[in-house]
Amino acid sequence: MYQYDEIDQTMVEERVAQFRDQVARRLTGEISEDEFKPLRLQNGLYLQLHAYMLRIAIPYGTLSSRQLRGLAQIGCTYDRGWGHFTTRQNLQYNWIKLEDAPAALADLAKVQMHAIQTSGNCIRNTTTDQFAGAAHDEIEDPRVWCEIIRQWSTFHPEFSFLPRKFKIAVTGSPNDRAAVRVHDIGLRMHKNDAGEIGFEVIVGGGLGRTPFIGKTIRDFLPKQDLLSYLEAILRVYNQFGRRDNLFKARIKILVHEIGIETMREKVEAEFAASKHGALKLPQEAIDQIAVQFAPPAFETLSGISAEYANAFRTDFEFGLWARRNTFKHKQPGYSIVTISLKKEGAPPGDASAEQMNAVADIADRYSFGEIRVTHEQNLVLPHVKHSDLPAVFKALKAWDLATPNVGLASDIIACPGLDYCALANARSIPIAQQIALRFKNWERAHDIGELKIKISGCINACGHHHVGHIGILGVDKAGEEFYQITLGGSADDQAALGDLIGPSLNTHDAVDAIDTLVETYLRLRKSSDERFLDTYRRIGIAPFKEAVYVSA
Amino acid sequence: MSLLKHGRLVGEDAFQPVADDAALPASGAVLVTYARWQVEREQLTGRNAPLGILLPNNLDVLDFGAEAERFDLIVLQFPKFSDGRAYSQARLLRERFGYRGELRATGHVLQDQLWHMQRSGFDAFEIPRADAVEAFAKASRTFSHVYQPTGDGRVSVLKQRLAAHNNKNGRSQEAAE
Amino acid sequence: MAKAPKLNSQPQIVTANDLRSGDTVYLTVTGGWTRRIAEAAVVANVEAGAALLAEAEAQAKQNIVVAPYLIPVDASVTPPKPIQYREVLRAEGPSTETRPAA
Repeated sequence: MYQYDEIDQTMVEERVAQFRDQVARRLTGEISEDEFKPLRLQNGLYLQLHAYMLRIAIPYGTLSSRQLRGLAQIGCTYDRGWGHFTTRQNLQYNWIKLEDAPAALADLAKVQMHAIQTSGNCIRNTTTDQFAGAAHDEIEDPRVWCEIIRQWSTFHPEFSFLPRKFKIAVTGSPNDRAAVRVHDIGLRMHKNDAGEIGFEVIVGGGLGRTPFIGKTIRDFLPKQDLLSYLEAILRVYNQFGRRDNLFKARIKILVHEIGIETMREKVEAEFAASKHGALKLPQEAIDQIAVQFAPPAFETLSGISAEYANAFRTDFEFGLWARRNTFKHKQPGYSIVTISLKKEGAPPGDASAEQMNAVADIADRYSFGEIRVTHEQNLVLPHVKHSDLPAVFKALKAWDLATPNVGLASDIIACPGLDYCALANARSIPIAQQIALRFKNWERAHDIGELKIKISGCINACGHHHVGHIGILGVDKAGEEFYQITLGGSADDQAALGDLIGPSLNTHDAVDAIDTLVETYLRLRKSSDERFLDTYRRIGIAPFKEAVYVSA
Repeated sequence: MSLLKHGRLVGEDAFQPVADDAALPASGAVLVTYARWQVEREQLTGRNAPLGILLPNNLDVLDFGAEAERFDLIVLQFPKFSDGRAYSQARLLRERFGYRGELRATGHVLQDQLWHMQRSGFDAFEIPRADAVEAFAKASRTFSHVYQPTGDGRVSVLKQRLAAHNNKNGRSQEAAE
Repeated sequence: MAKAPKLNSQPQIVTANDLRSGDTVYLTVTGGWTRRIAEAAVVANVEAGAALLAEAEAQAKQNIVVAPYLIPVDASVTPPKPIQYREVLRAEGPSTETRPAA
């Protein structure tokens, strides 16, 4: 994976020094809160309900074991001994003091990490497929492009004060695990008719108050033009995106208001003027980055590992876990392991410092020291030998990290909600906990099969509720927490926004309603192969609506 | 208010701002609005004195850029520091239209934005503070490297690495020979 | 964020976050700040509320706290209990034991 050179290291250290100076100027009153706020936000520091929250960038969700141990240490030194993995493949600490923030960032820099541009109206951390560099269905490793984008977007002089935040996602696989159609810019790698690999560029997707599925602005962009094209889009957005209304400032509104054709004309004109300029990527420069993402030293393996086959046969729990939490690797004899951070009843995405250290140790022993963070708030060991899977399962289980529920009803995405977040209208974590406990019975959970439940505590949609098979949105009704339910959303290559099922429900009724929806699906599905989403797409909203509102 | 050019304090602004409804002075450098320029092109170019223009920050610079070279000063506005449109205007003027005159930032110009402004092509700043020279000097030292190529002539990190790589390869080839 | 209710002559207190630590704090009768809502100064009319907020805003300008505002409370109980659920959470901390089992 990518290692900082002296230049990258100097840049993050200079950033820490800059922020240390800014904090000092704030504490002496030289700069006001209004002037300081965007500065702290561009270093990931929010002021939440109970404390400052520090959001750490985990570039494209890739971590080394050393970095994960660094995160554990910072959690112990400056926070309360744990961290929260987010839907943007980042990590948040909930109890940071402003006075400590520069020291925490200095510790972070020691493990080649930072919190740069994890908030603010700038280009945020680029996200990608959590299985990048390992997945069997990948055309090319998207992390190379994420790193190229990371460098280009870091401290960008022109695009640090955009109308609103800006998120880019990249997928290198036709099976989109990066939700590229709901980002400000989505990049989908594919082969054109000539057999060259390039990008489909999608623009104007997004969730939040006004959700949109992104539109294709260019079918095929040659690789060497990537940065020129991104700069063209950003330049059009920076000049013409709305700045009069916070809620209409994202690029999706610009694309919607002027139309994709006009947007394309403007971007293509800008691109035509700049494509032969300084941003054109020489192949040698691409190669210099790409070499850092070379695959680890895989063993040449063939046949089925005896240890694996034996454990699968004799250990029921292992079999359950292996079926649910592993994914096909491109290298024969290896698997990708997803570590569920969704033990039923636990806050989704939280990990203690002890758990982080344990995962780092397991990664060192069994996965070339590599860890990934998923946008579904789980962790991944990308390269595990089949023969090691039983040992990995055992090691994870000892730390309560082997819940066999990846992709199932209890693998819920939830934002921090009103328990922490200053923007939230309602809590997300407690309702996620209650719902997950309803699906604790493994037989029922596995019978239900794939079901993505996503919960947001407010319209900003950090919990991606619009694209949940079942989406739950917390609202405030005269001071009381209520929840709206949507059905049929999806964030994959057939992205769709969920449909509102009816009036919002109180906490108790909302949890019951999820059970009712699932029972309705079980009753009406054609076969056990038909997923919840497929059944919904086949029969529509009416039977579900009736089950929740009429029979109740 | 301090006016800085190339990091140094300018005692008195050579350009006299003239309101849209005020008469043009007989001589001397003036700063006029874009609106006035639109209607008084001939009078303004005929004055035979340095000419400055204040551009609205919602102006599409592509509609103006071809005329940029007629001016000795272009002033771009930051009504709020968080309104970053003028960064794009500045880069387009410098890099697309080759504007070489003074490019001045006015409005809510804060120390922590000076780095971005310099990189985008500004060389003059109206800074609402007394210690502007120190603030500017400090801001200029923020980072030792730049990841992006802009018109400021600094070599991007990507190009630095390529050069280092090619040098190394070149040298090792020589050694092999 | 839920819209704050319009305050009139009901019991109210001033809350903010401490600049250095970020902690939830309340303005006391002596013009200091406390982390305990039980020690908050409670007033019960528009003028007194405005005066309390003005005092707090002056302290925000002195870089002691960030973004002070008035919240309605039920003063018939001890300690006073905020009316909005959001403020109950700020006063009492997260409702869920979030430390993961390890």
